[in-house]
Amino acid sequence: MTTGAVILAFNNEETDYVGMAAWSARNIRRHLGIPTSIITDCQDIDLLSDFDVVMSADAQTGGARYFEDYNQTVSWHNAGRTDVYDLTPYEQTLVLDADYVVASNDLKHVLNSAQDFMCYRSAWDMTAGHTLDRLNQFGDYNMPMWWATVMMFRKSNTAQYIFDCMQMIKQNWQHYRDLYGIRHSNYRNDFALSIAIGIVSGHTLSVAEIPGSLLSLMPAVTLTGQEWADHYSVEYTDSNNKLKTMGFAGVDFHAMGKKHLENIIAGAS
Amino acid sequence: MNTDDLIAHARARFDHVAARRLLKEKYAGKMLFAYNGGMWRAGPELLTLLQAVPVEDNVVLLDLYDNPVKVNPAELQYLALGRWQEQMNAWLVEHDEMSQKR
Repeated sequence: MTTGAVILAFNNEETDYVGMAAWSARNIRRHLGIPTSIITDCQDIDLLSDFDVVMSADAQTGGARYFEDYNQTVSWHNAGRTDVYDLTPYEQTLVLDADYVVASNDLKHVLNSAQDFMCYRSAWDMTAGHTLDRLNQFGDYNMPMWWATVMMFRKSNTAQYIFDCMQMIKQNWQHYRDLYGIRHSNYRNDFALSIAIGIVSGHTLSVAEIPGSLLSLMPAVTLTGQEWADHYSVEYTDSNNKLKTMGFAGVDFHAMGKKHLENIIAGAS
Repeated sequence: MNTDDLIAHARARFDHVAARRLLKEKYAGKMLFAYNGGMWRAGPELLTLLQAVPVEDNVVLLDLYDNPVKVNPAELQYLALGRWQEQMNAWLVEHDEMSQKR
């Protein structure tokens, strides 16, 4: 069975997602030993040399979104994720956000699992040391959130139903926004995935979650550097308004502040 | 960066509480492993259970997803114990290194 990672990367006016994905592809190869493919609208062959397969696709915008680290609103080309099931060249696929940092081989246990579809159920704030309760549910009815940041699927009925369902939700976004009481006007993959998992599982939420939490660094946290391979340091203000630092190594995490990650990648290359 | 910012950065302290919590979360993730199509968490609970079952026969245990999986208890115990000891040692090393940071 072929196994590989797929990253979707569409640059906007501020963020070089393709560069981020190329850096991530090197980390994925180093830690997980699997090939990485990219779905992108980028045509520059030099920038795409780190990928085993390049799939061209038009950027599908989910709207514009305010990013705290850039202190401005930028376009958000996030809506193509529902096509991954049809586009992936692999029988078993690990779908990762470009800003998900692979710094260990922890995802190997996900690849070795017998499940057809897996994703994270809860996000965990690395600097606060607790789950992100506010973000782990969505809509006016506090529906449970499933995170599309990291997904593993095998070509299977379950996975196809989930992606088909996400596609339907995307096409009828306004209807599902009204139904679930979602106040954000932007289409968001996490919401579509959460709704799809609810529908496909008959609202039993019996889809397998990746054990553990999606470790996350909030945009307000400054990822200050990569001291050496897979060792990162952060600086942030704690609840007492005091400036704190922290370092960690060998931890996979979701860097919600893209700007800081971009700076680290620029320094590494 | 102005002088006040420079002073604030110089005074920034290592957050031991958050770092300890993160270490716990990190090593909770590293205790997971796949075996015979099931997902397992190395730790006292699994190791105690494996000591309680007869080692000569295959037994059926529930994995983390509550799926029944037929396992060789001796083999699973070897894997679980190895992973648990390895990761606990790594946790201790990181914990001790971190304790010295200011």
